[in-house]
Amino acid sequence: MSWRSEVLAVWAIVVRNALMASRNVFFFFELLFWPIVGVVSIGLMARFLGLTPEQASFVLIGTIALSVVNVCQLEVAYAVLLDVWSKSLKHQFLAPMGIHHLTLGSWLVGMVRGLLIFGLLAALGWWAFDFRVLAPGPVAVATFLAGCFLNAWIVGVAVCALITLFGNRAEAFAWSSVNLVLVLAGIYYPVSVLPEPVAALAAAIPLTYFLDAYRAHFGFAQEFRAPVATGLALSALYALLAHWAFWAAVQRARRTGLLLKMSE
Amino acid sequence: MFAIDAHDVTKTFRSGWLRRRETAALRGVSLTVPRGAIFGLLGPNGAGKTTLLSILSTLLTPDAGSARVLGLDVRRDASALRRRLNMASGRPSFLWSLRVGEIVALYGRLYGLHGRALRRKVDELVELYELVPYRRVPYSELSTGLKQRVALAKSLVNDPELLFLDEPTLGLDPDVSVRVRQHIARLRRERGITIVLTTHYMREAEELCDEVAFIKGGLILARGTPAELKRQIRLGEVIALKLDPPAVPWLAEAPGVLRCVEEDGWIECTVDEAEKRLPEILRALHADGVVVRNVQVHEPELEEVFVELAK
Repeated sequence: MSWRSEVLAVWAIVVRNALMASRNVFFFFELLFWPIVGVVSIGLMARFLGLTPEQASFVLIGTIALSVVNVCQLEVAYAVLLDVWSKSLKHQFLAPMGIHHLTLGSWLVGMVRGLLIFGLLAALGWWAFDFRVLAPGPVAVATFLAGCFLNAWIVGVAVCALITLFGNRAEAFAWSSVNLVLVLAGIYYPVSVLPEPVAALAAAIPLTYFLDAYRAHFGFAQEFRAPVATGLALSALYALLAHWAFWAAVQRARRTGLLLKMSE
Repeated sequence: MFAIDAHDVTKTFRSGWLRRRETAALRGVSLTVPRGAIFGLLGPNGAGKTTLLSILSTLLTPDAGSARVLGLDVRRDASALRRRLNMASGRPSFLWSLRVGEIVALYGRLYGLHGRALRRKVDELVELYELVPYRRVPYSELSTGLKQRVALAKSLVNDPELLFLDEPTLGLDPDVSVRVRQHIARLRRERGITIVLTTHYMREAEELCDEVAFIKGGLILARGTPAELKRQIRLGEVIALKLDPPAVPWLAEAPGVLRCVEEDGWIECTVDEAEKRLPEILRALHADGVVVRNVQVHEPELEEVFVELAK
């Protein structure tokens, strides 16, 4: 496949997901309603509990990360979910494209949506709670966002694999799996407060490291050495594993006939 | 050169976690389809038609056997093969909020079209299938017939050499079905596309297909041109007579007559060989003083062959 065909196939998915997103009320709630409700409620709770500005920034970073990862991961999961819902999966897999076109295209749209949410919540946090999420500077912000997006990509691709493996029954993973990952990664607390075996799990999640690195810019002690490098290395490993799992799930679906069943 | 060359293809579906259930969908199907032909797969529900089509179009992997499509192996060369074939189903489904033009464009991009070439292709297909007034209508708001036309438009977006049509006129109004059939015939005539279609409608198969194969229980029971099949099954030929008086009891016992039925004032006698039996019957009727008001000779319908094979 030529580079041009590669880019075109990814672009086809970008256009598809963007068009679907722009025409669905459901997407509006994902993009605006839930993230705003999240930041406002957590910010008000921090005010009620009388948290210091540092403590408030700790939890607000987590809340913003939650919203960004959540919306971007859902968009990646839509790579398969949209076709499952509309029963058009077989057309998708009849076309000469690889799973990486699907996951890359939907990830690109997810990143745009994630950036929009990040900008919106940063402005809201500043206006309502005097929380300056952009204070660490463009490099730190870009690294933090890259970490969020990479995690979203990995979880989203894993969800695609699960749906292709188990069919519609696995749809719930699209909304639940990312929350489990975020709880383990310590969105509202340092992972040191987790019990020992759970802390080991947290150390295996790339987002843990990106949160740790970003919070260090707000005066919190780093829990890990070289957190960004570790986060990136883990992300690369998991991205490969998640894509392999998705590829294997598609091959299995072609063997079992699930691909056709999900199109009926 | 064959467009399809399949040997001993088998496929068994397994389901259930605790109680494993196995359904043999294909039990050693061998099939060849010449390039440029319109080939029909006929059979009752659950016969294995769609399974075979799905294997040949790379959507499903066979358990055993070999299948080469356009000279490529369906397992090893699946990605290269996908560029050269396409499929439309009688139960089409696409992303609900995409508009007609956007659906065709989406698949065009996936097949490598862009810019002016993409716009030209979308325009051409939207026009070809008379979808211009619906170009900006979301898919979910289209009627069944229009959805079918969108599916056909999408299936031509890559100028396929081989086109699979799964029940292409299912649920369509008769006038739309006629137009779709005319279009399928034109696709082969003008573009030389090899077309493999499954259908329940015998008239459709008879009208369109150069050859048909009957599948039942995952096996091909018979194949050939519609005329060959009728001969193979030995259903004979039908002599329809309008007589005065209308009932002639001895007719069913006449030499060479296999059976007689009365329908709408006609007596339809199935005979072993119409050319030989018709003069004999007419002579006997004349001798008996029966007036022959009308007479027609025709071959049995393909549907009768289907019923016979499906027994």
